[in-house]
Order: sequence, then C-alpha cells, then structure tokens
Amino acid sequence: MGTLHGKSARKEPAIAGSGQDSVDVQEFQKFYQEHLGQIYRYVYSRVGNREEAEDLTSQIFIKAVRGIDRERGALSMQHWLFQVARTTIADYWRVHYRVSVSSLDELLETGWEGPAEEAVTLESVRPEERVRRILQALPEHYREVLTCRFLLNLSIRDTAQKMGLTEANVKVLQFRALKRAADLESVVTG
Amino acid sequence: MQGDDQERFEDYLELEQFIEELQAGHAAHPPAELTPEKANIYRMAALFRSASPDAAELRPEFAAELHARLEEEIQQRQKKRERPKLLPFLYRKQGSSGREADRDNGRSNVSRRALLAGGAAVAASLVVGAGLMHEVDQATSKPSATNSGTTIQWDEQLIADGQPTTWHFVTTLAELGDKVVRFATDTIVGYLTFDDTKGDPDEGKLVAMSAACTHMGCIVQWNSAEQRFVCPCHNGLFTEYGEPDPRSPVRYLSALPRLRTKVENGNIYVEVPTGGPSTAKPPRLNHQS
Repeated sequence: MGTLHGKSARKEPAIAGSGQDSVDVQEFQKFYQEHLGQIYRYVYSRVGNREEAEDLTSQIFIKAVRGIDRERGALSMQHWLFQVARTTIADYWRVHYRVSVSSLDELLETGWEGPAEEAVTLESVRPEERVRRILQALPEHYREVLTCRFLLNLSIRDTAQKMGLTEANVKVLQFRALKRAADLESVVTG
Repeated sequence: MQGDDQERFEDYLELEQFIEELQAGHAAHPPAELTPEKANIYRMAALFRSASPDAAELRPEFAAELHARLEEEIQQRQKKRERPKLLPFLYRKQGSSGREADRDNGRSNVSRRALLAGGAAVAASLVVGAGLMHEVDQATSKPSATNSGTTIQWDEQLIADGQPTTWHFVTTLAELGDKVVRFATDTIVGYLTFDDTKGDPDEGKLVAMSAACTHMGCIVQWNSAEQRFVCPCHNGLFTEYGEPDPRSPVRYLSALPRLRTKVENGNIYVEVPTGGPSTAKPPRLNHQS
C-alpha cells in the first residue's frame, strides 16, 4: 500500500490504508516525541490550564492512534493528528458556543478522509508569540491591563492599584481588552 | 465603543471568575450558552493564560505516562493486524458472523486495551487480581445440565476471546423487573436492566453493560429521576440502555460496552472477565431503582 507524504518537509511515519497497519512502535515513538509538545502547547493555549490540557492531549493521541486504521485512504499521520486535535478542541468549545461545529465522530461516520492536497496545520506561531503580537497591536490601556492580569499574574486589586483605577473598572477594561484582542487575533497572527 | 450596549455587568464578573480560576491553575469553564463573540473572549483569556510565566509546562511524568499507554495500544494493534477494527465496541451493531470470525482469530485482551485506553480512571472498573465467585463457578461448571436455561447472545465488546471469564450472578428476573441493578465484581462494575422500550431493536432483552464511561473511564451513576446514566467526571449522559444521549454535553461518547447475559432458572448471570487467581470474595450487589 502506498503512502502519502504531506506538504510538511518533516519526515513522517506513513499510514497505509485498506485496514493495514504500518505504524510500528519505534516510528511512533519518534513521532510522539516530535509532536507531543506541539499538541500540548496548542491545547494549553485553548484551555489555559494543565488539568484539561493533559486530559485533552491524551484524548487526542489516543483517538489518533485508534483512528488510523479507520481511515480509508492513505493519510499522513501528522495530518491526521492535527485534524484530530482541531476537532477535539472544537468539540470542547462547541459546548460553549451556540454555533455548531462538526465533531470528530460526525466526520468519521460520514467517512471523512480529509482534504487530500491541502496541508493541515495547527498554528505555526507559538502561543507566546501570538500573545506578544496581539499585545503590541492593542491600545496602551488594554495592553497594560492584560499584561498585569496575565503576564504578571496580578490580582484585580493589585492591577487596580497599579493602574490607578477602581476594581470594577479593571473588570470592565479586561473584558473589553480581551474582546478587542479576539478581533485582532486573526489579523496579527494570520 | 461598538457592542458596548450588549455587555452586562454579569459578563464582567463571570469573566473575572474565569480568569481567577486560570490564575489559580484550576480547570476553568466559561458560562454556558455563550455567543460566539463572548466565547472568543474566553478563548482569548485561555490563550493569554498560556503565555503567562506560571503556565504549566508539559510535565515529563505526563509525557511518559501517555507514551506508555500509546505504546501499549500500538503493540496490541500489531498483534491484531488482521483485525480491521481496533475497538470492537464502537461497532457494536456488526453482524454476528463477523464476531464468530473474530473469535477464530483468537484476538486477545481487548479489555486490557480498554483499560489502557480509558486511562487511570478505568482501573476503578477493571481491578486486576480478581477472585472467582463461588456460585458462578458452579454455574459455569454445568452448562449442559441446564435444559431449561436460555442463553441470550450479545455482541461482546469488552471481553476478548481467550480471556478468562466467568458468569457472575447478578439478580433474578423477578427481582430485576424494569429496574436498573448495579453489580460489581473484582474486575468490573456494571449495570443490568431489561429493555422494555416498545419498538427498540433490543426490546424484550436483558441489557448488561460496563459502567466505565467511554470518555475517560469514570464510573457512570444511574439517575432514576432522569432515567439516565450520568458520568460524574464530565457530565456525559447515556440512556438507560447505555447509548450516548444526544443531550450529553460530551458529544463524542460511544455506547457503554455491553456484556453477555444468560438466564438459568430465572437467575440472571453476566459474563465478566476474571483477574488472576486470588481468594474468592462474596459478590457485592446493590439494587438501585
């Protein structure tokens, strides 16, 4: 069974289709070491806490390993892993969205094989870098409140003191700052 | 400012609670039913938190633990190359002929795999080191003597062929009625009920299932008011017959794996995996209505 390499230059273990299984433990070990950090950071940047980041990272890798031989066509393992990661996070967030997002199970049920040519990637920019770029693009008072709350880990009270505002003001300000940051995200990080 | 008129005072407080949870390093959940715009605000908070110097780096222990689980998973698969599907219980509806073929292939420890797959929490439902039940030994030792007995065949999902099993007495047909009965052996926790739903494919049959949530392996609890199984870990919901409930907040659940049952002289037995040899213990049984 032939294998398909994605557009990534990284050498990838190949997954054969037709129910055959060409992943061996050594190959997977290498793949795991190369991708664990990346997936964990991606998940962490979506949930912001270790407990859920570990939980979801485990789910992603387990689903990826199990799902391999359910793929009908040949598909690069990285491609598949990223797709699982994205749908798992979408599943996680869809609970909180009103909009519907295709879940992994729905994709699998309908025999989804993924875009054959299009490279599937997670964000190429690391979370820290994305945050830095967003901060730079924000107006000064927004940048300051987010820096205090997240990068300096200051409490509401300390932030209020530092900025010469009331605590109520800080709560409003951080809400609007994050709202603006969300608007800017796609612009500054691509 | 655009959109300001849509903000409520509570929005600020809810967001602040969320941020405080993140700062404390806790799992944090946004309020339910957010608009996409508001959900983006919470996503952004998670992103900013991940850039904090206090953000949790990947723990080496976690990396090692997950690696071991995955390696085991793959090794199991290597042994089963001829098998097209990895998780038989995801394909519970497949025909019985396929199942017989599987049996001939001598597939091994699926439940071990389920244990690894589900993570540590599954260990609560599949305890290694089990003892045999006295009366079940008797039940299995005289299968041919039960001319009045009927054996109900279920697709087996949790127990692989070749894995030692035993028939565990749970309750009697008269006792069961339409109730849901929880049973626990040294290897598994499960529920038994009777499918009395008109028009259901399994109508008129006994349904025995593992209580380990198919999400992360926590033990689901029967909620008689709701007539649902509820997972305490992530509030996943299953119907009274173990199917994923469409209302479940966790949407990627598969059905609770079923166990085979048989009825002999009005006594209901469930086929459960046995652990290693150890001292016999009396069965634990408690009824829930």
